[in-house]
Amino acid sequence: MSLDAKRIVIAVLSFFFLASLLLVAWRETLKQRAEEEPKPIVTATNAACVTCHRQRSAGLVMEWEASRHAQVGVGCVECHQAREDVPGAWRHEGVVVTTLVTPTNCGRCHEKEVREFSRSHHARAGEIIYSLDNVIALKIAGTPGNPADAVNGCWQCHGSLVRFQRDAGGQIVRSGPEGRPLLAPETWPNSGMGRLNPDGSKGSCHACHSRHEFKAKLSRSPENCGKCHMGPDHPQIEIYNESKHGIAFYANRDRMALNKEGDWVLGRDYAAAPTCATCHIAGYVAVTGEIKGNSHDVGERISWTLRPIVSTKINLVRFSDGTQDDFPDTRPLPAVGATVDTTDYVVENETLVTRTVPRTVASVVPWQTRREAMQGVCRTCHDQAFVDNFYAQYDSLVTLYNEKFAVPAKQMMDDLTAEGVLDPRSPFGEPLQWTFYELWHHQGRRARHGASMMGPDYTHWHGMYEVAKTFYTEFLPEVVETAARRGRGPEWQAKVAALLARPEHLWKAGLSPEEAGALGQSYRQRYGPKSEPAAAR
Amino acid sequence: MRERLRRFFAASFPVDWDQLRALGAEPVPHHLKHWWWCLGGTPLYLFIVQVATGILLTLYYVPDPSGAYESVAHITRDVRFGWYIRSLHKWSATLMIAAVFLHMLRVFFTGAYRWPRQLNWCVGTALLATTLGFGFTGYSLVYEQLSFWGATVAANLVEAVPLVGHPAALLMRGGAEVSGNTLTRFFVFHIGLFPTVMLVLLFLHILLIRLHGVTEFEFPREQVAPAERTFPFWPHHATTELAIGVLLMYVLTILALTLPAGLGPKANPQVTPMHIHPEWYFYFSFRLLKLTSLRTSVYLTLALGLGLMGWPFLEDALHRWLRMPRDASVVVGVLGFGAFLVLTVWESLAG
Repeated sequence: MSLDAKRIVIAVLSFFFLASLLLVAWRETLKQRAEEEPKPIVTATNAACVTCHRQRSAGLVMEWEASRHAQVGVGCVECHQAREDVPGAWRHEGVVVTTLVTPTNCGRCHEKEVREFSRSHHARAGEIIYSLDNVIALKIAGTPGNPADAVNGCWQCHGSLVRFQRDAGGQIVRSGPEGRPLLAPETWPNSGMGRLNPDGSKGSCHACHSRHEFKAKLSRSPENCGKCHMGPDHPQIEIYNESKHGIAFYANRDRMALNKEGDWVLGRDYAAAPTCATCHIAGYVAVTGEIKGNSHDVGERISWTLRPIVSTKINLVRFSDGTQDDFPDTRPLPAVGATVDTTDYVVENETLVTRTVPRTVASVVPWQTRREAMQGVCRTCHDQAFVDNFYAQYDSLVTLYNEKFAVPAKQMMDDLTAEGVLDPRSPFGEPLQWTFYELWHHQGRRARHGASMMGPDYTHWHGMYEVAKTFYTEFLPEVVETAARRGRGPEWQAKVAALLARPEHLWKAGLSPEEAGALGQSYRQRYGPKSEPAAAR
Repeated sequence: MRERLRRFFAASFPVDWDQLRALGAEPVPHHLKHWWWCLGGTPLYLFIVQVATGILLTLYYVPDPSGAYESVAHITRDVRFGWYIRSLHKWSATLMIAAVFLHMLRVFFTGAYRWPRQLNWCVGTALLATTLGFGFTGYSLVYEQLSFWGATVAANLVEAVPLVGHPAALLMRGGAEVSGNTLTRFFVFHIGLFPTVMLVLLFLHILLIRLHGVTEFEFPREQVAPAERTFPFWPHHATTELAIGVLLMYVLTILALTLPAGLGPKANPQVTPMHIHPEWYFYFSFRLLKLTSLRTSVYLTLALGLGLMGWPFLEDALHRWLRMPRDASVVVGVLGFGAFLVLTVWESLAG
């Protein structure tokens, strides 16, 4: 090869080498871009807000800057801007804003999510104002002038009915040169799930999607739900932590793609474990390969209601205006097109009132379909036989609780009330009422929730064991004592005896000689002679 | 001004440029126009790449178990163009070892190790051993699971060497077991001891080539005119070497882009991985270890290494005492390299 030819070869090779260096530089640039935190976009609309609040509430601005909202230019005004006629609106630095950001505000962009959420039980969580729990918090633990237990307790999860401070004339108290309306301290701050907002909407998106970063990772994590779904009456987070699902989650948190932008789909983006959001909200890959989308209606996949004294299967009746109701399976289902009277809880003059609203049935979703939707999630990881058998186990526990304890206990309480032994105006006047309340509201729920989410200890020791112990050692004796104080002791003694004579309660009569013998034998074999309980000797 | 500068540098560097040009234009034999005669310069060029990229890596590398793996991850993930420099370093090591093997094959099969160049062959074999040492210590510095356990296996092999094995293993490990001391030592070997040894051996190697001159080869089918029996080193052969250098940089960059250096799990002395294996150039030894026992494989490897280094003398002795024809070396070479290839491929497929 001549020298000139070699020079040409070098030139060509140098060109290719330089071109490859350009590829290196391009790849490095891509890598740098991927690693850089996207910069927040401060639009002209929000510039003044950010500048001032960076000093006055620096942490808040920092959180917003780290949010996805900031990356796409959604800032203060986009969320806080309000119409002049919205209760609580005021003109702040030239912009009409509201302190409270409600689902109405969020729904300007997140229409689907707000629509689904608004028809869900989460949005209705604030309606407990009429429930026994509110009686306990407001009247029994609180005083008429000091609802602090409800304010700091129940309402922080369920949501308060947000009110404004008012003067003697009933006008909203305003403060400062801008006339900022003052919110009543017993109702705000509050980010309870079913907060009843002054603009008529229900709920607080911030309950799950904490402001101002609104990180998806947080709402996908079980700890987020655990703020409220915990405790003696609905220990979902404790049950989850006990369960294999929870164990798998905590061991594999870094494989859960919690930070993923956009959809978060089980079976596509992650598979290590389900969280609360997985089963109750998020998307999953169905057995057909189709991706089922998420839904902020957390009750869509629920087939049992474990909340009441006696659990029932629940059918979903959807109405033509987008609202819906759960119909227990003890209630006849209406036909599509039929008109049904429904109960709405609405805020009028800062008071929650009920209204009967007739609605037209648009569709009926039977409990079986709701269960299939939940089973679709299960099927992403488990086969059908596994899922079917689990539901058989779960159903059998709820049925056991219902039939052996809840139904007879409720019947007794209803009968005692009907006979005037118990005063319906005094729901916690007798020790029996407290016992009954804890039997179904705490112990019975723990048993049912434990079975629903595979928490064996909650199902048995914190659940059915306590249900049984309370039922036999406290509830039944107190039924007789309470009746006796009203002169109906012998009658109720006989009723209790009749109940205990049923096959499921016959253990109270003691073991048969054969059973005692077998029990004694097993103790002696396991623990040695004279180790058997007295009853088995 | 220009004239003043010219006179200043001419006085400061009194170089006889005409003499330098004449030196550069030294005639080299015609057969150097064949590309496989550039395989000697290729590992030298790649060594320069290794030094340059190695210095850049040393700016960020932490030679301690508490930070070694993390610093390599930092280089790969965070440092600007760190992934590129690390990948160049990794692939240049592989190509350098391959080039040394190919150069040795060329020298062997062209008989260029024969008298009076036997010592230079020994120096070349020592250069091969140093290059392998570079590869082994460099890979261990990453402090992945395979690095740690590969070093453990290697130390056990060294331990089995007769007489000097135990002290050599202690020196290598810096103790009874692979530990933080081992990493520090490997780092010192990699950036201090081996480069020094390499430079000394390279100096000797090139010096001996210059003193002996390049052996002239004739290819039966090639008709070379008398005037073309030689050609000037500069610019002709130097240009060829430059072309190969640019080609190597292009190939290295493409390899870095398409097959960048990765990172396995961090070394865990408590957990032995399911499969331990060294870098590809030690596959033959690893397969030998699996086929025989520790002692047998060590003795065999030692014998092969000594046989390789002493081949010029061995060939002479076999020719003198057993009348072995010189051409029999080709058969020995084919069998030896063939066995190396078979063992290497076998181990890679067994994975």
